[in-house]
Amino acid sequence: MATTALHPAAPTYRSTLYEWITTTDHKRIGIMYLINSFLFFFIGGVLALGVRAELAQPGLQYFQDLTYNELFTMHATFMIFLFIIPVLAGFGNYIVPLHIGAPDVAFPRINALSLWMLPLAGMLLLLSFVTGGSAAAGWTSYSPLAQDRPLGATGPGQDLWIVAIVLIGTSSILGAVNFLVTIFKMRAPGMTLFRMPIMVWTVLVTSVLVLLATPVITSALIMLFIDRNYGGSFFDPANGGDAILYQNIFWFYSHPAVYIMVLPAMGMISEILPVFSRKPLFGYKAFVLATAGIGALGFSVWAHHMFTTGAVYLPFFSLMTALIGVPTGVKMFNWIFTMWRGQLRLSTPLLFALGFLSMFLIGGINGVFSAAVPVDFALHDTYWVVAHLHYVLFGGSVFGVMAGLHYWFPKMTGRMLNETVGKIQFVLMFVGFNLTFFPMHELGLAGMPRRIADYASTAGWNDLNLLATIGGFTIAASMIPLLWNIFVSLRSGKPAGDDPWEGNTLEWATSSPPPPYNFDHLPEIRSERPVFDMRHGFGGHEPTPAPAIASSAEH
Amino acid sequence: MASSPRTGRSSAALTAVVIGIVAIIAVIVVVTGADVMGAGGRVLTGLFPPQAVTDRGAKIRDLYDIVFGLAAVVFLLVEGLIIWTVIRYRRRPDQVDLPPQTHGNAIAEIVWTIIPTLIVGFMFVVSWQTLNTVDAISAEPQTKIRAVAGQFQWQFEYLPADYDPQADPPAKPVYTQLAPTGDDGGLVLPAGRSIQLYLYSPDVIHAFYVPQFLFKRDVVPGRLNTFEFTVDAKDAGGTFRGQCAELCGAGHRVMLFDVHALSGADFDAWLKQKVAQASASPPPPSGQPAPSGQPSGTPAPSGQPAGPALQVSALNIAFEQSTLQAPADTPFKIEFDNKDASVPHNVAIHEGGPTGPEVFKGEVVTGPTKTTYDVPALKAGTYGFVCSVHPNMTGTLTVQ
Repeated sequence: MATTALHPAAPTYRSTLYEWITTTDHKRIGIMYLINSFLFFFIGGVLALGVRAELAQPGLQYFQDLTYNELFTMHATFMIFLFIIPVLAGFGNYIVPLHIGAPDVAFPRINALSLWMLPLAGMLLLLSFVTGGSAAAGWTSYSPLAQDRPLGATGPGQDLWIVAIVLIGTSSILGAVNFLVTIFKMRAPGMTLFRMPIMVWTVLVTSVLVLLATPVITSALIMLFIDRNYGGSFFDPANGGDAILYQNIFWFYSHPAVYIMVLPAMGMISEILPVFSRKPLFGYKAFVLATAGIGALGFSVWAHHMFTTGAVYLPFFSLMTALIGVPTGVKMFNWIFTMWRGQLRLSTPLLFALGFLSMFLIGGINGVFSAAVPVDFALHDTYWVVAHLHYVLFGGSVFGVMAGLHYWFPKMTGRMLNETVGKIQFVLMFVGFNLTFFPMHELGLAGMPRRIADYASTAGWNDLNLLATIGGFTIAASMIPLLWNIFVSLRSGKPAGDDPWEGNTLEWATSSPPPPYNFDHLPEIRSERPVFDMRHGFGGHEPTPAPAIASSAEH
Repeated sequence: MASSPRTGRSSAALTAVVIGIVAIIAVIVVVTGADVMGAGGRVLTGLFPPQAVTDRGAKIRDLYDIVFGLAAVVFLLVEGLIIWTVIRYRRRPDQVDLPPQTHGNAIAEIVWTIIPTLIVGFMFVVSWQTLNTVDAISAEPQTKIRAVAGQFQWQFEYLPADYDPQADPPAKPVYTQLAPTGDDGGLVLPAGRSIQLYLYSPDVIHAFYVPQFLFKRDVVPGRLNTFEFTVDAKDAGGTFRGQCAELCGAGHRVMLFDVHALSGADFDAWLKQKVAQASASPPPPSGQPAPSGQPSGTPAPSGQPAGPALQVSALNIAFEQSTLQAPADTPFKIEFDNKDASVPHNVAIHEGGPTGPEVFKGEVVTGPTKTTYDVPALKAGTYGFVCSVHPNMTGTLTVQ
C-alpha cells in the first residue's frame, strides 16, 4: 500500500479569508461557487417576492410599471445566469474531480478565474439599480425593446446587463474547457468513460453545450451593444436591422442553456437515486445515450420559443421539440426502475430527488403542449409558459440542487444536516412550489399574459394570483429551515464520517472533507460503483488483490 | 441516520411527510372554508382554455383536448408509478441484505423509447394537420383589417377590398378606429365572414392576442404578419378581451383592446356610418348645449375648481383626475405632471368627448417631468381630455 499523503496535517477548513480568496483548490472554489450562487438565489428570490406581492391583487400597490419590469427582468437574470448555471458548475467543480479520482481540475488557476468573474458580473448587475435603473426589457432583451431609444432601454442598466452576461458567458466557457480537459485527461486508472458516474457524463455533455452555444449569445450581445452605443444596425428595423435575427441567435444559445441548467441536476439525481435505493442505476448506457441525445437535439429546437413570430418553419421545430421528449422519457423510466424493487431510504436527499422526478415530469408534460404549434399559439407568452419553465427550472433544477446540497453537504463539511429540519424544508418548498406555479397553468389558459404589473379586477384572475402569491411566500419561508439547518450543522452537526450514505462513487472513499489533492489512496475501479464494490465485493467473487493507486503528486 | 441500522425510520419519515402534506391541505380547506368538490371542478375546468369563438380557435381547442388527454394519461401513469414505487419499495427495518442488483434491461429500454416516440409522433402529425388549417390564408378574404400596434395602443384600419399589402404605396384605409377599447372602440368584426388581419408595428415587437381566439401572433417591426379567421356567426353580439402579449415597455399591460363581433348586416351598417362620419368635415362644434349642471359623480379630489391653472397628473398610464372644470371663454393653464418614468404623455382636449375633434394638443413630454400648457379660451361645453399617446387615458373637462 504505497501512498503519498500530501499535507497530512493541513487543517482544511479553518483557513484565513486570504487563503480562500487565493485558493486554486477545486473544492474550495466549488464551495465559493455555491455560496455566490445562493447569494444571488436569495436576491433573485426577493425580486420574485416583489413580483408576487404586486400581482397578489389587482391594482398597482407597490411598484411603478417600469420598476416592475426591472423586477422580473433581474429576477430571471439572477436566477438563470448567477444561480442555476453557476450552482451546477459549483457542484461540478467540487464533485467531478472526486468522482473521477483526480487531485484537482486540469487548470486550477483558470478555475479560480472563472469563479471570480461571477461576483464581478453580479456586482455590475446590482450596480445598475443605483445608476438609473436596471435592464427592464426581460431577460431575453429582445430588440428593438432593448435598443437605446425613447420608451426603450435608455439607461446604462441595459449596457451593464450586456457586459455582465458576456462576463458570465466567458466564465462558463473557461469552466467548460476545464471540465472537458479534466474529464478526458485526468481520470484515475481504471476509470474508463463508461465507468464514470452519470453526474460526470452530464457535466461532460453540459460542457460541450456551453462550448458550442455560449459564443453564439456572446456575439448576439456584443452586436446588441454595438447597436445601442455605436449605431450598428444589426437588430433594429428602424435602421435596416432584423428583429427576428436577434431572437434566432439568442435562442440558439438560450435553448441549449435550458439543458445546461437541467442536465447536471439530472446527473445529481442519478447519483442519489441508486444510493438511496441500494441498487445500481437502471440502464447506465441508455442513460448516457439519452443525455447525449438531449444535448444533440437541444441544438435543433431553439425556434420553438418563436412559434408566434410568423418567421419560423414551424413543422421542423415542432417535430424536433416533440422528439426531445423521448430521451427525457427514457431517463424518467430509468430513474423509476432504479427505485423499482429497491430499498428506498427516505432521507432528505431522496425526498428532494423524488420532488425532482414528480415535478420535472409535469415540466416535461406541460412543455409538450407547446410543441403542438397551434396549441402554442394559445399558450405562448402567457402564464402557462411561466408555469412550464418553473416546473423545469425550479421543480427540476432547484429540487435537484437541494437534493445535491443535502447529499454532499456531509462530504463538503464533515457534518450531517439535520434530517427533521431538512424534511420540514422539503414539505414547505414542495407545497409552496405547487401553490405558486400550478395555478399559473390556469391563469395562462384564461389569457393572462406574462410580464404585466397589473390586471383588471374583472378579468377573473384574482383568486389564482392570490394563491400563487401565498405559495411564493411559502417557498421563501422554506429557506428559513435551510439556512438554520446549515448554520446549526456547521457549528454542531453530527460528524459525518467518510461515507454516511453508503455511497457508490469515489468521493465516499476519502475523508469528509477530502484532504488537499483529494485522495490518499484510491480503491480499485472496476465498475461505475467502485465504493460499492469495495463494500460488497465484486459481484460475489473477491477481486484479486491489486496495489492501490497512489495519488498523483505531480500537480 | 448515517449508516446505522435503520429501525423503521424510513417509514416514520414517510408517514411524517404524508401527514404534513395532508395537514397543510386540511388547514387550507378549513381556513378558507373551501367547497372542496366545487373547487375540484373549477380546477379541472380551469385546465382547459376558454370556449373558442373563431373557426381556427375551435380547431386549436380540439387539438388541445387531444394533447390534454394524452398528457393526462401519461401524467397519471408515470406519477402513479413513482408514488407506488416509493411506497411499495420503501426500506423496511428488517432489510439488511441488498436487493437484487438489476443493471438494466435492453427490451425495457427499447419499449420505453418506442412508445414515447409513437406518442409524440402521433401528436406531431395531428398538430401539423391543425397547423395547416390554422395558418391557411385565402386569396379573397371577405374583410381586410390592419392592426397597428404602437407603444402603447392599438388602432384598427378597415381596408378596401382591393387592398394589397405588397403594393407601394398600399391603399388607404376607408376608416381607422382609434379608440382601442370601450363600447364605441376596439376591433369591430363581422361574425361569419372570413377576416384577414395584417399586423404592423412602428416601434417594438407586440403581439396580437385574444384569449377566446386561442391565438396570438407577434407584431414585428419590419415584418408583415398576416393571419385569417372567421368569428362564429353565433357569437355575433359578443365582446372579447384582447391584449398585447409581448413585453413592449412600461405600458405593456395597458395595451388592451376590445373585440366586438357584429352580425354581417350590423357590421356593414356600422362601417358605413363610421366612413360617413369620417369623410364629413369635422362636425360642428360641440353637439351638446351648455352642460346641464355638474358632471355626474363627485368632483375628483385633486380636480381644482374653475381657476387659472388646472392640475393634471399621469401615473401608471392613467390620469389621476377623472374630471376637470375650467372657466368658459377664458384662456387657462394646465399644470401637467407626468409621473411615469420613461413614458411619454401629454394632455389633449377634444370637443364633445375623448374621441371628438381635437381643439388643443399639449406637447408630449417623457416622465418624470412637469410642464405647463397654455390652453386658449374654450366655449362652454363638455370636452374630453386625452393623452395622445395613450387613447385609453381619458377624462372629462367641463367648461362653464
